[in-house]
Amino acid sequence: MAILDVRDLKSGYGKVDVLFGISFTLEAGESLGIVGPNGAGKSTLLKTIAGEITTKSGEVNLQGASITGNKPEDIVRLGLSLVPEGRQIFSGLTVTENLMLGLTGRRDKSSAKAAVEQVKSLFPVLNTHADYQAGMLSGGQQQQLAIARALVADPKVLLLDEPSLGLAPTVIADVFSKLREITASGTSVVIVEQRAHLVTAFANKTLILRAGKIQASLTPESAKDEEGLRRAYFGANS
Amino acid sequence: MQPFLDAISLGGTYALAALGLGLVFGVMRLVNFAHAELITISAYVIVVTNDLPLIVSFGIAALTAALLAILTELTIYRRLRGTGPAIMLIASFGLSVGLQKSFELIFGALPRSAAVAPWMTGSSEIAGLNITVSSIVTVGLTVAILLAMGFLVEQTNLGLQLRAAATDFKTSRLLGVRSNRLIGSAFAISGILAAFVGFILVVENPQVDPMFGLNITILALVGIVIGGISSLRGAALGGFIVGFILSILNTFLGNARVYAYSYLFLAVVIILLVRPGGLLSKGNEMERV
Repeated sequence: MAILDVRDLKSGYGKVDVLFGISFTLEAGESLGIVGPNGAGKSTLLKTIAGEITTKSGEVNLQGASITGNKPEDIVRLGLSLVPEGRQIFSGLTVTENLMLGLTGRRDKSSAKAAVEQVKSLFPVLNTHADYQAGMLSGGQQQQLAIARALVADPKVLLLDEPSLGLAPTVIADVFSKLREITASGTSVVIVEQRAHLVTAFANKTLILRAGKIQASLTPESAKDEEGLRRAYFGANS
Repeated sequence: MQPFLDAISLGGTYALAALGLGLVFGVMRLVNFAHAELITISAYVIVVTNDLPLIVSFGIAALTAALLAILTELTIYRRLRGTGPAIMLIASFGLSVGLQKSFELIFGALPRSAAVAPWMTGSSEIAGLNITVSSIVTVGLTVAILLAMGFLVEQTNLGLQLRAAATDFKTSRLLGVRSNRLIGSAFAISGILAAFVGFILVVENPQVDPMFGLNITILALVGIVIGGISSLRGAALGGFIVGFILSILNTFLGNARVYAYSYLFLAVVIILLVRPGGLLSKGNEMERV
């Protein structure tokens, strides 16, 4: 049974439709990349799955149970966390307070302390900067905090919206290295990126999204065909 | 000494009113004009139940204000979530007027009065200074409530969620913060704070009419703008500044006290010219739930 099953998903903003029937499945411990040009609907897809945007039709199942139409605060308790675009950490709160907020969506509170220690060992900078205001951290450190904050909720599926945004190449490599550790521990990851090469090198499979529809599904091997990747990304006439 | 104590007392009262408004603004981006009527209903309840022991009378008032606050959230504001800020603002203004008219129907247009806590109207000599008991009690009460609120906001999980929601409500929900419960809590706490304000005001002026809470609410809103509308600390600080300045102006302007509001708003303009987002602004005032 797929851990995340998205079927014929349609959503948008008010009367404007953005997604036109998206379907895919994700197995436990698997990583899925979603790439595409600006306005393709990548962020809308993640927000719809996480409950932030209302589904117009279609279905989202998490571990076999429908989460379609659920509120975001309920979805995170069922095991799906979103790291939003731009990180959206609480810059006026300390690193520890940000992590405490992440625990709000955790069902098993008895192991909360252990979960915080676990993410601190994965991201040591959060341990050394525990009492810092989150806004004082560098961009890369803030991204680590945003991922850690989502992880303490103990998600089965972690959604990440453009985690490389605004980060230096060396920092991006570090973030993706941590993401590999997270998937190795059994957490499934869906990652949205504009930088196709980052994702195709990381994910088990990559979907190319354009104009609200899936244009192609790539394996790491098929993604090496740069011409094919470019055509799927920008369209046949590019 | 007495004018200074009065200024602290009035500043503290305005800080409580501003904090109640700021809590609701933080989670809903709603300027709740109907907060005035929460203060008014508390004062009415305290006057009407004056025969009961004070603590019981206040308890009923606080419960009434909290329930009315939750009721307005459930029946009106919850249904309007997601609409534009202008609609929410007009709804709160309409609710405020509607409640005023309801109070007029229930309690009459003329002021209702009662000698609430008459023991507070006397004065006491402390270190050679003659100080009114009401100002001592008011200062003690506001300090205690502000400390309690400080503990709630800074040290508890609910407070952490309120601070986070005041900054970014959408992200808070993504982390599991239950929106309905948090907003309901904010409204209930704002109702209880309004009851404290109603109690302090009714001791000073036991003439309660349907517009009893309006003046302090408008000035508390001014305080919130001064302090920084997105920060609970800023709201309390701004409210305190407005109350403190107003009290000092009223004391020292003598016959020119009719111009007290002019000087107050001049001070507000100067503060906003220097700090447009308020003294403790975090710069996200325009974001909505």
